[in-house]
Amino acid sequence: MKGDRKYIFMFLLPSAVLMAVFLYYPFFKSLYLSFYRTKGFFDKKFIGWDNYSRLFSDKLLGAATLHTLEIMLFVIIFQVGIALVLAVLVESIGRLQNFYRSVFFFPVVISGTAISLLFVLFYNYNFGLLNGILANFGIEKVLWLSESNALAAVSIPTVWHYVGFYFILFLTAMSKIPSDYYEAAKLEGINAFKRTTMLTIPLIMSDIKVVITLAITGTLKVFEFVWVITSGQNGTEVLGTYMYKKAMVDQNFGYGSTIAIYMVVFGVLLALLANRLLKREEITY
Amino acid sequence: MKRSSLVLLSIMLVFSMFLAACGNKSANNPAPAEPTNNSAATTEPQPEETKAPDPVKLRVFSTFGGTDAAREAFQGVIDEFTAKYPHVTVENDTLSANDDGFRTKVNTDMTSGNEPDLLFYFIGTDAECFVNAGKVVPLNEILDANAEWKNGFIPDALKLATQKDGNIYAAPLTGYYEGLFVNKKIFEDNGLELPTDWDKLTTAVKTLSAKGIIPLSVPFDQSHYLIEHTILSAAGPEGQNKGLLDGIDPNWEKAYAAMKELYDLGAFPKDAATIDLGMSGNYYSEGLAAMTLEGSWAVGSWTEETRNNSTVIPFPTVPGGVGSGNDIIGGFGSGFYLSKAAYDNAAKKDAVVELLKHLTSPASIQKIASANGGTPAADVEVTGLAQVALDGFAMAAKANVISAPVDSKVAPETFSDLRASVQQVVTGKKTPTQAIESAKKVEDANKK
Repeated sequence: MKGDRKYIFMFLLPSAVLMAVFLYYPFFKSLYLSFYRTKGFFDKKFIGWDNYSRLFSDKLLGAATLHTLEIMLFVIIFQVGIALVLAVLVESIGRLQNFYRSVFFFPVVISGTAISLLFVLFYNYNFGLLNGILANFGIEKVLWLSESNALAAVSIPTVWHYVGFYFILFLTAMSKIPSDYYEAAKLEGINAFKRTTMLTIPLIMSDIKVVITLAITGTLKVFEFVWVITSGQNGTEVLGTYMYKKAMVDQNFGYGSTIAIYMVVFGVLLALLANRLLKREEITY
Repeated sequence: MKRSSLVLLSIMLVFSMFLAACGNKSANNPAPAEPTNNSAATTEPQPEETKAPDPVKLRVFSTFGGTDAAREAFQGVIDEFTAKYPHVTVENDTLSANDDGFRTKVNTDMTSGNEPDLLFYFIGTDAECFVNAGKVVPLNEILDANAEWKNGFIPDALKLATQKDGNIYAAPLTGYYEGLFVNKKIFEDNGLELPTDWDKLTTAVKTLSAKGIIPLSVPFDQSHYLIEHTILSAAGPEGQNKGLLDGIDPNWEKAYAAMKELYDLGAFPKDAATIDLGMSGNYYSEGLAAMTLEGSWAVGSWTEETRNNSTVIPFPTVPGGVGSGNDIIGGFGSGFYLSKAAYDNAAKKDAVVELLKHLTSPASIQKIASANGGTPAADVEVTGLAQVALDGFAMAAKANVISAPVDSKVAPETFSDLRASVQQVVTGKKTPTQAIESAKKVEDANKK
């Protein structure tokens, strides 16, 4: 055993090095850059906490944070909710389970950018599919990406894209529940709805908790849907797109890095909060 | 004991591999390819083309890809070169210029030691950072040493390609112009005059929007051309050139006031806030819009019908603007840069210079200009162009002043701020004055 351990360390080393190079080094580099005012790639000047004080007075960042939280709400309610409903339904049918599994999981495989481009063509005011359908019925065209709708319109593909992933997680969790629980319930004469709310959901609570944490941290990374569909216009700017704009489009890597640090801190806080709120005993069968 | 030393040894081996990998990389950055080329080039000192020369691989990065009108012409020019020099393989690396994505790629490539051997990119502020960092070679000496090549260019083109420090780093290929493209057929069908002044423009906007035709197809987010043209006509070429650093030119805000006036008259597409340039071009191309603000490069991507119906005129002077109404945006805004790494690499040097000369020879310039409708940097006859491109050349020839766009006069972050203000001003959330003041603040912070 003791000899084995050395080999384990040896084999762990390469991935640790890769992580260090591609994750921790950029992170610390961002931390370093967040104290600089940068102009392009070659010119930078130490400015202390200036970027951080800008962070607090930046209205656009506040708006981006709010929009991110709003999408997060949509994601938790609809993504997790729909995934749960679908999983319960699919779990209770005997046949065609595998078919539905594949059908619901499929969007996860498609790249987010491709889905976004698809939705651009759905929502477009002049050529779009949705307005085309409305025009067929003689209804006036709708501006789907107006200031009041845009965020919801962007959330739809975001939610739809990942429903399948959580659906599979829930389904796997449900399949681990021993069947004698259900048999006992059946003998007690429980109906299907009660069985779901009293048995299935409480038993997979720990998985729901994991999924919600994943959904929260995942929403902080939302980028391509917003970028492609609205490029952050009409009140859809999220943290990911705002950081990209500051760092890449404006070439202000210093402030971009500061936003990145803010996103990390914000994400960790949210995840901790979610963990605290959803704290629950682990169930062992 | 013995076993543990073995383990130690193997760990050290693994480590040394990483170290070697890292060491190589960092050594490559400042003095690239010196060690590698020794092994690649044989010990024979440059045989005089008697023996087959060693294969050379060159990477050319440009925007002649995707939907670019000159994509095939450019590949053709490269193929000519590789047919003549079979030992050279040219990797034609491209990214579409539709978005800012290619700027990001160029900037990352140039700073991370992954620079292409030849780079087709903007001249001016955009290039300043890698020019100042010495990543590219000044071409002055090479130009002087190859008189035939140098004389192929129009002197003006070389002058416009000169960087701030007085050196020429980029060999120009074709120039561009921007202007107000007008679908003549839509104007005729509606009994309208060409929008040569502000009154005619507003009349046209009113008439067209009442009929459900988009008068002027532009996006708010990628509003580069809208801002460039309105500021140029509001502040005039001189006022535009000053940028924002030394105080606010009061004429700048007239540009935003004009945008608001146009918006209130219904000039822009309903979804202008969320479409990108591609979609806005689409509306014009499909005949849904009567006008658009674009550059010469866009002409090739429109449907043949729209192209044949189009003409291009300078953007009229906005109310109170000091522009003459005959100033345009254009120039030789980009060219081929020769990377220092390739030039210092003995194995590549001759081939890369030869390729640069070939790509910017009058014959090549003629082919590219015929394909993309840009103004050629050499004195050549460009044939087979649509009437609108010829109108563009005429417009450029008659223009009082040809200026570089305003984005090259301010920091990138400032320009982003100007772009972000467009929607807010036209919808009344910000006044034109606030828009310029906010941009000025960003500009000041950038020059700290």
